[in-house]
Amino acid sequence: MGAYIVKRLLQSILVLFGLSLLIFFIARVVPGDPARAALGNLATEEQVERLRAEMHLDKPFFVQYYYWLISVLHGDLGKSLYTQRPVTQDLVQFLPATLELMLFATLISLVVGQTMGVLSGYFRNSWFDGLFRVISYAGVATPPFVIAIFLLFIFSQLLGLAPGVGRLPITMAEPPRVTGFLLIDSLLAGRPDVTLVALKHMLLPAISLAIAHIAQEGRITRSSLIDVQQKDYILAHQVHGIRPTKVIFKYLLRPSIVPTVTVMGMDFAFLLSNAFLVEVVFMWPGFSRYAVNAMLSKDLNAIVAVVLVIGLTVALVNLLVDVTIAFLDPTVRIRRRGG
Amino acid sequence: MERNMESLVQVKGLSVGFRVFEGLLRVLDGISLRIGQGERVGLVGETGCGKTTTVKSILKVLPQPPAVIFGGEVLFRGKDVLRMGRRAVHQLRRSSVAAIFQDPLQALNPVFTVGTQLSDIVRDWAAGTGKRLSKKEIFRRCVEALAQTGMPDPERIMTCYPIQLSGGMRQRVCIAEALVRPVELLLADEPTTNLDVTIQDQILRKLDELVEEKGMSILLITHSLGVVMDLTERVYIMYAGTIVEEGKTEELFTNPKHPYTQGLLKSIPKLTGEGISQGIPGRIPNYLHPPSGCRFHPRCEHVMPICTQQKPPLTESEGVACHLYRGDVR
Repeated sequence: MGAYIVKRLLQSILVLFGLSLLIFFIARVVPGDPARAALGNLATEEQVERLRAEMHLDKPFFVQYYYWLISVLHGDLGKSLYTQRPVTQDLVQFLPATLELMLFATLISLVVGQTMGVLSGYFRNSWFDGLFRVISYAGVATPPFVIAIFLLFIFSQLLGLAPGVGRLPITMAEPPRVTGFLLIDSLLAGRPDVTLVALKHMLLPAISLAIAHIAQEGRITRSSLIDVQQKDYILAHQVHGIRPTKVIFKYLLRPSIVPTVTVMGMDFAFLLSNAFLVEVVFMWPGFSRYAVNAMLSKDLNAIVAVVLVIGLTVALVNLLVDVTIAFLDPTVRIRRRGG
Repeated sequence: MERNMESLVQVKGLSVGFRVFEGLLRVLDGISLRIGQGERVGLVGETGCGKTTTVKSILKVLPQPPAVIFGGEVLFRGKDVLRMGRRAVHQLRRSSVAAIFQDPLQALNPVFTVGTQLSDIVRDWAAGTGKRLSKKEIFRRCVEALAQTGMPDPERIMTCYPIQLSGGMRQRVCIAEALVRPVELLLADEPTTNLDVTIQDQILRKLDELVEEKGMSILLITHSLGVVMDLTERVYIMYAGTIVEEGKTEELFTNPKHPYTQGLLKSIPKLTGEGISQGIPGRIPNYLHPPSGCRFHPRCEHVMPICTQQKPPLTESEGVACHLYRGDVR
């Protein structure tokens, strides 16, 4: 198991290295002179030349890449043209809001989706199964930002059950920043009332994001569960007199959720891209809005940072998924031997 | 062996069908069989004749739907398994019955070690008897059961996943799973069909030894006549969901009565090389529209008019379900 994790970790690093090379290449191929862009139209040619030398832009491609990589590893991603601040600082400000939202949405989809999938598969062809299948079709087919608009309209506008947009009401001050996760920071600041309000604000956007995943992953768990249920070994466990609850929760569930975990890893990238639009609907001051603004204003350093962060996140999640699967399914980590 | 031997299991007139898209498959057509205390019984028939359905009915693991039980009883010590509640069935399984399935590659859970799967069986069996065994004791019993099957290095095997074992080793694990706790009845559904020929014999010998040693009853399901001759005292011949003949193994094979049994015996290839063995012309019938009367009549060389109209009962005296042996209708 340990050797497997190390192997997977090295692979991830290799992937990230390739990604950085690609990003750097694209960033340098884009027309325009970064030194000129940084200094503006009024700077003299000499000043621009000096800055070019300072930024190593006069050196060969791979030397430039080397200097760039070193500074990235030191956390220096350059300055954003749009916010006029170091990109790293922007990331620290905007990323936690999105991560918090995504993790919360993942948590919801994990708990609700798996429960529904298991129930639906176990009570196959019951009314619950039928209902779940119809709803899940709709859930997979409806884009999250549409769900977001509907939820906002119904629960916030019409019924007044949920707060509107943003992470907190304007009148409420954010707790001192420690992790950037409001739910945690407010607890650390000893303000559970703020936690509650923040939770209420997060509920609708998180649900909008989670619904597609609940539907997708629930459906996969359902069909996988039905598949495993018909295996001889489940029959054998029953016949050998193992407690029915143990057969279900231990011997049936574990082989059933392996395909779901794989899909969850792949879905996480979709979650990120869906968050882009849902954050716009809920005016969530998060990373996605920052990224969209960076793209629209051709803010090169910010774009590079955004792509890097997304790449890093996806690589990390896939690593996590692979390790989880290796833990759940020994066939992944054991070399085949004999028959 | 003797007719008055106390019955452990009695199947009476069991009829089972499967509802599929095309309609209703009438597989088991009123079969009856009996397994005495400590008796070794064989159930022989070609692929698709309903042997596995019979076993699954006895174990009450047929998924309903698609299976439909039309009638009949499966009595275990006089209690009808088909009408038992979930708890009673669970109690029966953990204390009295064990099974070995056809395909050892499918019969072990791929994501748990052999040790986990074996020790859960022991733990739940012990819980059923009101005992609480220590981890050490459970481990000891598991290792012992594995060793009994002739498994080399059982302690190491306990930590292995099924994928790390060969087919023969997996079948030994399956046997160990069946015999790790004391049971009264072992249902062995073609336990060696999916194994190498060289391993088949070893496994059967071992199984035979263990059944002998523990004095349990066994219902051995197979399509191999040689295996039945070697290992059983009494045998049922099954054709297309009906029992066509029943009797002491030796007698039945030296003097087969039913045309199907006769054909079955003729189809065994002879090592002496006296020509090519004969098969039975035709195929097993379609269960959607099974033949009327005797289900064997379309393939039977002695077919009479009555065979198409009336199903012959399995007579207690002759042990055969065929109109040829019923003086009154002839």
